[in-house]
Amino acid sequence: MRWKRLGLATALGLLFVAPASAGAKTLIGSGSSVAQPYLQALFAGYHRVKPGISFLYTADGGNAGVKDVQAGRSQFAAQTRPPLPSDGGTTYVKLFLDGLCIYVNQQNHLANMSLGELADIFTGVRTSWTQVPSSALNTTIDAVGRDSTAGTFTFFTAAVLNGQTQGSNVNTLASDGLVANAIRQDPNSIGYAGLARSKTPGIKRVSLGGVACAPQFIKSLKYPLSRFIWLVLPTASPDPDVQKFADWIRRSVPAGEIITKGGAVPAFNKTRKHRKH
Amino acid sequence: MHDPLLFEQRPHWWSDRRAELSLGAVVAATLAGVVAMLVFVVVQGWPSFAHNGLAWFGSGGSVDQQIKAMFLSGETGGHYVYTFHAWALIWSTILIVGGAAALSFVSSLFVAVFVVEFAPDWMKQILHPVVRLLASVPSVIYGLLGVLVLVPFIGNHVINQADKASVSHIISLSGYSLIAGVLILTVMIAPLMISIFADGLRSVPRHWLEASQALGINRWRTFWKVGVRAARPAIVAGTVLAMARALGEAVMLAMVSGSVGFAPNPFDGLIFLYEPSRPLAPTIIQNIEGLSSPPLKHTLFAIASVLLVSAMLLSLAGWAAKQPLKRYAAA
Repeated sequence: MRWKRLGLATALGLLFVAPASAGAKTLIGSGSSVAQPYLQALFAGYHRVKPGISFLYTADGGNAGVKDVQAGRSQFAAQTRPPLPSDGGTTYVKLFLDGLCIYVNQQNHLANMSLGELADIFTGVRTSWTQVPSSALNTTIDAVGRDSTAGTFTFFTAAVLNGQTQGSNVNTLASDGLVANAIRQDPNSIGYAGLARSKTPGIKRVSLGGVACAPQFIKSLKYPLSRFIWLVLPTASPDPDVQKFADWIRRSVPAGEIITKGGAVPAFNKTRKHRKH
Repeated sequence: MHDPLLFEQRPHWWSDRRAELSLGAVVAATLAGVVAMLVFVVVQGWPSFAHNGLAWFGSGGSVDQQIKAMFLSGETGGHYVYTFHAWALIWSTILIVGGAAALSFVSSLFVAVFVVEFAPDWMKQILHPVVRLLASVPSVIYGLLGVLVLVPFIGNHVINQADKASVSHIISLSGYSLIAGVLILTVMIAPLMISIFADGLRSVPRHWLEASQALGINRWRTFWKVGVRAARPAIVAGTVLAMARALGEAVMLAMVSGSVGFAPNPFDGLIFLYEPSRPLAPTIIQNIEGLSSPPLKHTLFAIASVLLVSAMLLSLAGWAAKQPLKRYAAA
């Protein structure tokens, strides 16, 4: 008798719940862990605009996300590197920009360096700060970077090392956050991480070739390590709701504000017009 | 009114027979699950072993470059590269797990003896729950303490500039090191050892110890010669369990050991302790993004199967070591 009552109550509950959730849709995505914090904020922002749309995102890495889209497991993926020949059957859409900044400890006087000097450090050619005079240090360089399977590592080796092998003296860490923390705690350290880490106390950005890792130079692509965050869709049958979401990220004013607040740089968004008094 | 005879004859719905069958089925299902997991992991890892043969366990080249080459070969759609020589990772595992087990064993044994026999009652009441609590602390918390406290301390105050400069063309001595991994792993597994050792020591019959003391032998010597000897099976069991936990530890070691596929060299002198390295288990975590690349996926499964077989061998060795000690067993 008790089971019958419970079954009836469940059925009635479903009757009331069903109309409320009718028309609701969950978009399934996966990919870059670097892009995840920006995307989570954008998901929340889009849900406010379109309450019927919600998102399920798994940060399994940009490369794995593309494979998920190819296999039909995900409706979209986020990626931090440009398309490769192995990405067949997918379409890459530019969403917004990020800068891969070079960070040193606050105690280091280094403010600017060339791409060549940076490459020398990360290939193990320059191992002492005496070989980088403007640092005003005479200690060994403790270089920190990312794992070889991270999209950030792939971008860095292509853009800075020109495909050369990263030196064995570079300590590789599992996330941008750990890289920023290592630099903060070690006065002799240098490393690379996204623009969003510029708010970490105790570390500072180093200009490359006289160009600062700052939103205005990233947006104009003058900063040499500017990179797009991409949305990857299946070419054959992209979900219309995912396309609308991509358009919203690229064009809308609120999305641009969310991207800026998260520490990245809007590439195409309109800006809010300020009234003149 | 119930007929007592009729009531006794009616079988209860959860009869002994049903309980026996149901619990047997649960155990069989669990065993089948474990076997299926083992088979799956070994089958997935087999292509990596097949391509490298016994050289898989040997040394040669940079293990990080090999991982990168495997990853790129799978991502660019070209010919798959499977070359992998895991010695640097295996050596790092032996050093870190072995070092932590040795340090932990000695300290845990003395602490357990103190807790069971020599500590005053009020201290026993505090130590007992504290040790249990420490044994259940998640490893990521130890990892955070390591990253925020121990690693910067070693990097900024223990390693000097001359040491750093002497190896700077090969590796960076920044605090992420073998010694950081060993020390934190020791702190992690010691409470587990203390807990099991203390349980074993407590189960030694009191009259054995009293008989020894009645012969005029002091408390320390009595406990060491009689109590510890009688508790040896529990000591072996605790050591094996703690080593199995150390062997599978990935998160904490990925945070503090340096994450470089480098084999620390004891002939480097004291610097050896400050050299970074990466054991087998953290290698899986650090390269998890590479699962989309088939050759790297097979290699990560191969590493997992080595860890599984090592844990099984460790368990088997523990069982074998306990057999001749059973005659000393207290219970």
